Amino acid sequence: MNWQDRQNSDGGWAYSRGCSWAEPTALVLLAQCATGIQENFGAGLSFLRSIARPDGGWRPQAGVDESTWVTSLVALLPAEALGNERHERAIEWMKGQTGRESGWGFRIRQRLAGNKGDFPDGWPWFPGASAWVIPTSFGILAFERALRFTGDAEVRERVESGRRFLISKICADGGWNYGTAQALGRDGDSYPETTGIALLALHGARESRELARARAAALRHLETCKTAEGIAWLRMGLAAHGQRVSSGSATRVLRTNVDAALTAMSLAERNPLLS
Amino acid sequence: MRALTRRELLGAGLGGAALSGCSRAPRSFPVSNVSIFKAASYGPEVYDMVERMLAEHKLDVRGKRVVLKPNLVEFDEHTCINTHPVVVHAAYEAFRKAGAHVRIAEGPGHRRGTLDLADAAGYFSTLPRFEDLFTDLNTDAVAKREIRQPESKLTSLYLPHTVLDCDLLVSVAKMKTHHWAGATLAMKNLFGLVPGGVYGWPKNVLHWAGIPEAIVDLHHMFPRQFAIVDGIVGMEGNGPIQGTPKAAGVLVAGRDVAAVDATCCRIMGIDPRRIEYLRIARGEQNLREVSFHQIGETIHSVQSDFELMDVWKEIRGT
Repeated sequence: MNWQDRQNSDGGWAYSRGCSWAEPTALVLLAQCATGIQENFGAGLSFLRSIARPDGGWRPQAGVDESTWVTSLVALLPAEALGNERHERAIEWMKGQTGRESGWGFRIRQRLAGNKGDFPDGWPWFPGASAWVIPTSFGILAFERALRFTGDAEVRERVESGRRFLISKICADGGWNYGTAQALGRDGDSYPETTGIALLALHGARESRELARARAAALRHLETCKTAEGIAWLRMGLAAHGQRVSSGSATRVLRTNVDAALTAMSLAERNPLLS
Repeated sequence: MRALTRRELLGAGLGGAALSGCSRAPRSFPVSNVSIFKAASYGPEVYDMVERMLAEHKLDVRGKRVVLKPNLVEFDEHTCINTHPVVVHAAYEAFRKAGAHVRIAEGPGHRRGTLDLADAAGYFSTLPRFEDLFTDLNTDAVAKREIRQPESKLTSLYLPHTVLDCDLLVSVAKMKTHHWAGATLAMKNLFGLVPGGVYGWPKNVLHWAGIPEAIVDLHHMFPRQFAIVDGIVGMEGNGPIQGTPKAAGVLVAGRDVAAVDATCCRIMGIDPRRIEYLRIARGEQNLREVSFHQIGETIHSVQSDFELMDVWKEIRGT
């Protein structure tokens, strides 16, 4: 992959074309870390620094005045490259983010409605919304990275809570969709990319019936998945649980920079998202 | 996440509607024209029908920037989830022949691989040079826009430049039942304008803001619209994804998007006055059948009850 040819003049990368965004830029830089081939890495970092916000988080693109879930992706970059202080501030910002269902008002309403379930904290895509599978998975991975540098009990607790959140969202078919396993009493279907990402975030978890079913769901998705992004996440998720899938077993067109970066990561010896 | 049941949501919405009814003077709307075409299949005749729609509604789009917004939701080979590519191609050709600069744009709310989704839905094979004509609204450059007199809890939204800068937004929607909104037609289709790159997948801020109210807010943010609803094969039951195909054999179009949606509801055997977002947008008295003038077919000649989930049985009517 020639990353320089796809790089915008501001140093960042678009999803496919157009303006630079934090997500594809962070993923391209992580892919470069995984492959050991760095092309204009510094310019990419400069772009990311330019869209950092004073609250410690990151905006998804220059036109947005709000820090969002992409902060967790940026926090997965090597702290020495990002800058230790920026990394710490990103983690601090993330500590303040939970799904809206973590609020007392919501929980009291749920209790009054007879829902006695656990409400583990996850992370939302956007402040003020519910926690969802993908941002929670990246939150777990970023906090695990942070635990290499800190013994912060709150960070450790959020990793555990995030993992419980993911377990609580497993669909009837064994995998994950974006958030809810049921709607109006009917089972939702899981998706390839969400199943792969959640499996990755649950790496190192103790073997269980749920994990075995999730791996089986991932293998089923791999047979029919129509996107390079989905295939890459499934490979990474399965590899994190010791199941390597050969690179030739499932390939799709790389339509976006995210597709290319994730595919490169999924083929690398070492996954840059795992600590 | 299940915060509230649909009944609770509806109850909250009705309360809100009643309050807004107290505080705002009822508006009246002129009688709107809505075109109804019988279309048994996605054959070549669809192209002629869409051209006639533009003529019937006297759309002058010469030199204008027109954005076609289809409904792309899920990988589906059976045509009932996504707007059929032939309808989108027919609209593209009709607006292009009318002298417009046409783009196709969509930001799916459930799946991230928009181009893969479009490919699986047959857009690449049906629309020549599709990738050059298409903008993924989930990843387009955005700008913040305030919402004047919001119905929902939203006060502003980030929206893609492609739709903010267009002269006419054409909602090329699918005729489907919807487990949260009752029906998803041209107005609900506008949820796809909200960028996933900012708000995520799905666009959960809209759910917390109130789904019917957010539909209306988005509708009001784009005053220059046209609607084409693909009901040749729609979806009934547990829509918008897990329902079953319903061959309604109809295309519906018009400048007044709420009027188009209300007409589609009646064709589906749904009373539009029981659809919350339509009631907020128009007021019950402006959703009577006499509020709209049908061009072409009558509602009665194409009406075919769509199966409704048990929790939505109460919206049955015409």
